[in-house]
Amino acid sequence: MGKTILVVDDSASVRQVVSIALKGAGYDVLVGTDGKDALAKLDGRRVHLIISDVNMPNMDGITFVTEAKKLPAYKFTPIIMLTTESQEDKKRQAQAAGAKAWVTKPFQPEQMLAAVSKLIAP
Amino acid sequence: MAEMLWVLLGVAVGGAAGFGLGRRRGPTTLAPSRAEDPHLHSISRLAGSLAPVWSAQITSSRTQMETAVGTLTERFAEIVENLDTVLESSTGVLDEGQGGTFDRSRERLGGVVGTLDDALSSKRATVAELRTLLAFNDELRQMSGEVTAIAAQTNLLALNASIEAARIGRAGAAFGVVADEVRQLADRSAGTSERMASKVGHVESTIRTLLSHAEETAEREDEAVAGANAEVQAVLDDLQGVVAGFRDSSATLSRAATGIRGDISASLVNLQFQDRVCQVLEHLQASIDRLPAVVEEAGERARTDAPPIDPDAVLGEMEASYTMAEEVDAHRSGSGAQVRDSEITFF
Repeated sequence: MGKTILVVDDSASVRQVVSIALKGAGYDVLVGTDGKDALAKLDGRRVHLIISDVNMPNMDGITFVTEAKKLPAYKFTPIIMLTTESQEDKKRQAQAAGAKAWVTKPFQPEQMLAAVSKLIAP
Repeated sequence: MAEMLWVLLGVAVGGAAGFGLGRRRGPTTLAPSRAEDPHLHSISRLAGSLAPVWSAQITSSRTQMETAVGTLTERFAEIVENLDTVLESSTGVLDEGQGGTFDRSRERLGGVVGTLDDALSSKRATVAELRTLLAFNDELRQMSGEVTAIAAQTNLLALNASIEAARIGRAGAAFGVVADEVRQLADRSAGTSERMASKVGHVESTIRTLLSHAEETAEREDEAVAGANAEVQAVLDDLQGVVAGFRDSSATLSRAATGIRGDISASLVNLQFQDRVCQVLEHLQASIDRLPAVVEEAGERARTDAPPIDPDAVLGEMEASYTMAEEVDAHRSGSGAQVRDSEITFF
């Protein structure tokens, strides 16, 4: 059984692209459509890594990371921010919230998988 | 639409304060206006009317694009999943066909042929035993002949003894009785020997019939086993050909499916444009939504002889709302900007 990665993005096309790349590499994928939906998915189940967008409705990515890190079961779960945004202050906010990496879109699947492999063993 | 926005803003602000934002994009410059100027009022109304229409059109376009690209990606994702299923099942059948079914079939058919071979070997052993039995029977016939000869000789000796006993007279009477008894025994031996010879003849006849039948059957079975062996080998060869054909077809199918999967995945990567374009449109829409207020403020400043609004401040506010590097590039250069490559930063 592969490791589980939670993919959070309000764009269906991005969720699909990331999911296909991850499934192709043998990971199991769980999806959330925004920060609020993703928090509901963190119900104690085993999640080895989280990939989250920043700009989302209902709950943005930085708030989601902050809230996720408050949950004991996910305190040490590595998080990658996957976003179109390139502002340095947003990056700093994500880092302060507990994110481990910042990847800008549009990404190539190989880049994403390399970043994932660096944070969790395949 | 962006050009019109800037021209409109330029006309409005320029008309109000003699300093148009249109200097960036257009040449429009109007003379300073008066309070309650009907032209200024109409421009303000126009901005208030146009902005919601533009905004609605952008919303409509964004919604259509999101829906269409979303549907497209879902379909592509389903195709990729189906291809994965095809690849898995194709590989499974191939492995089973190569290492499993074919080898098991060959083993089982070999077992059947082996059983037939064993039965034939057993029959050959029986034939050999029958030949041995025939040889023993010949020995019995010879022994029977010897017993007949001994009986004849004994009979002759007994006859001579009877004659000698009679010639001696009364003193040889007892010896004559013994000689008669011996002669009778010799006769009985000769009779037994004849019956034995007859039985040996029957046994020989029976054995030869059995031997002939067994040899004939063994020969037919030998041919049948050889034929079965050849048929089994032919079937296995055919089966191997079919399996090889399946393997080649499966490999071709697998290569094609892998290629298609790769092409679709690459195409899906390109569909990320939707997320970026939607954000650009979202920011543009926010600027358009703000336009009526800016024009209204410009008019108000004109009416109250306040300083004109600062176009750089308006543009700076717009630039500050951008989240993507290429938005800033396009804003500053005034032309379309290239999408930058992905960057990865580890904290």
